[in-house]
Amino acid sequence: MWEFAARSLNASTVFAIAALGELIGQRAGVLNVGIEGVMLFGATLGFIVAKTTGSYLLGCLAAIAIGGLIAALHAYFSITLGGDQVVNGMGIWILGFGLTAYVGYPYTGPLNMERIPDLAGLSPFFFVGVVLVVLIWWMFSKTSLGLRIRSAGENPSVTEVSGINVTRTRYLSVIASGMLMGLAGAIYSLNYNPVWSVNFLLGWGFIALALVFFSMWNPFILFGGSILFGTLWQLSLNPQLVMESVLSRYIWRTVPFVITIAVLVLMSTRWFSSRWGAAKPEALGLPREEE
Amino acid sequence: MRLGGYQLKLEKKIRVTAWEATAISLLAILIGLALVGLIFLQAKVNPLTGYKAIFSYAFANKFGLPLTVNRSIFILLCTCAFILPMKAGLWNIGMAGQLYGGALAAFGVALALGAKGSQTPTLAPGLIITLMMLAAILGGAVIGAIPGFLKGRFNTNEIVVTMMLNSIGFWLIAYGIKEGGPFMGGGGEGEGFKLAESVFPPKVLGGAFTIPLALGVAVLLYLMFARTTLGYQIKAFGQSPSAAKYAGISSQNVPLLVFILGGMIAGLAGYHYFAAVPGVYKIPLNYGDFGDLSFYGIICGLISQGNPVTAVPFALLFGGLTNGGRFVQGQLQLGYGIDYALLGVLMITLVAFQFFYRNTLVWKKMEREP
Repeated sequence: MWEFAARSLNASTVFAIAALGELIGQRAGVLNVGIEGVMLFGATLGFIVAKTTGSYLLGCLAAIAIGGLIAALHAYFSITLGGDQVVNGMGIWILGFGLTAYVGYPYTGPLNMERIPDLAGLSPFFFVGVVLVVLIWWMFSKTSLGLRIRSAGENPSVTEVSGINVTRTRYLSVIASGMLMGLAGAIYSLNYNPVWSVNFLLGWGFIALALVFFSMWNPFILFGGSILFGTLWQLSLNPQLVMESVLSRYIWRTVPFVITIAVLVLMSTRWFSSRWGAAKPEALGLPREEE
Repeated sequence: MRLGGYQLKLEKKIRVTAWEATAISLLAILIGLALVGLIFLQAKVNPLTGYKAIFSYAFANKFGLPLTVNRSIFILLCTCAFILPMKAGLWNIGMAGQLYGGALAAFGVALALGAKGSQTPTLAPGLIITLMMLAAILGGAVIGAIPGFLKGRFNTNEIVVTMMLNSIGFWLIAYGIKEGGPFMGGGGEGEGFKLAESVFPPKVLGGAFTIPLALGVAVLLYLMFARTTLGYQIKAFGQSPSAAKYAGISSQNVPLLVFILGGMIAGLAGYHYFAAVPGVYKIPLNYGDFGDLSFYGIICGLISQGNPVTAVPFALLFGGLTNGGRFVQGQLQLGYGIDYALLGVLMITLVAFQFFYRNTLVWKKMEREP
């Protein structure tokens, strides 16, 4: 039972770190629906680097770097060129989907490296995730940096007048957010499920995106949501824990996606949004007009 | 940038003419292709040789051309399925899930009516073929209705919902055709069953009858947006849902309607490739590739600016590129997935070029400095 719980928490880590990344960007007012693409880049490059150099550390660093780079591209399109952020995010996703399929294909198969040592089944990344949750919560609620980022996402014009460089704040937030997404991808491909195949994230990035809306931009709720999704995902992979051979394992595979939709619907109801909805960054998704 | 007495300046654009839009799109595609040329170079293949091989297989080879046409029609249908919600300001990235739903429904009908492989169906073949096609359209509509309803009723994010439905559809088909599923073929290789020969759909000029049908769908869709009240209402909703509300347009019904219509067309795309293209007549082992191919519908819809007729030549181009790309990667010892790389690079160049739909570069005479 503990083994199952540990495995679920390891899955949650991937959701949590990716979603924390998205949360930072959104707090600064930039929506990135291309999170799946950024994660695919991180996962694939991290996998390739780790496999060729034999070093997990280099793999993770490469994933963080490429995540930051791809997010910088999104920032350029969304902040400097001022395009529709959803269109740009779609571009990032399809770029990641297409390019990683080509680049990663020769590396199809298992990583074949000694596994990263774990603590009673918990991967060290889980603890990284916990630290990041607390750190990011602290940054947004206790520091002036967090306040600067949030104000850039709430009312950029007023923020600019008060002497904060909105463009720079947004760029830095988006790049940091991409670094976390890249890392999350690498945690998936190096630790959680170290086997590469085409488009192997199967929509985890989109689930992480949904998690951010679900969390009402609060890192702790976000973490709770990640654990919920991680556990559900793990259950769907091990149906025997719930009901032995009641349904085909392929049907069980659909369960986390069905649940994601159900949870998303619940959060979109008027009841839920009237209770919590005020937390949404006011200027989310809106490009800033130059005056 | 300055040149002589002139300066290059950026200006906001109010309207894009059809010519400008076409020029921007073509430029974006050319630059995208040039960027993929770098991939050819990296694989030590001359890009010109590479593209020559791609285009000659795709458009001038008697085996390649029919494949190109079938893929293009598939992409065109996915494009139409994308465009409908796009006109209403909504994102349908669930063509894959919808076409899986359509395929399951169509083959479900075939199974129920005894039109599987060696069986001899009792009903008239014409009836079975019609029912299969209607089932595919209905299956796509059901999957499409989910995000549409949820968007209209609860304002649930349609991007996430359609993406989740893609995965659900993918696993439902896996359940159907693998490991003893009800749709499994005889060979036990994880393929769906093959249709009985008597229910192979009729051909038009030696090709699938869905080819003229799809072109008809594109024209109808164009006319709907250009001429009908419904098309106008959808566009008005896309421009501003709140303004549309004051004009008496329901903010619940429009999302539901565009997603149902989009789903129907995506279901037809599934029917086209799996049940009507000569030589397929089953849900193939690599059905997931067709889900991936459906994403070309997004590019095609964006690049044709939501015009389903303009989308036709673009769909043909993309169909040819993916088909030729698949072919040459073996011939020129390129890595697998050059068609995927193309998909990604074309998409991002297109996104970058969106900038020029809104802005324009003009040469302005410089003011003399005082």
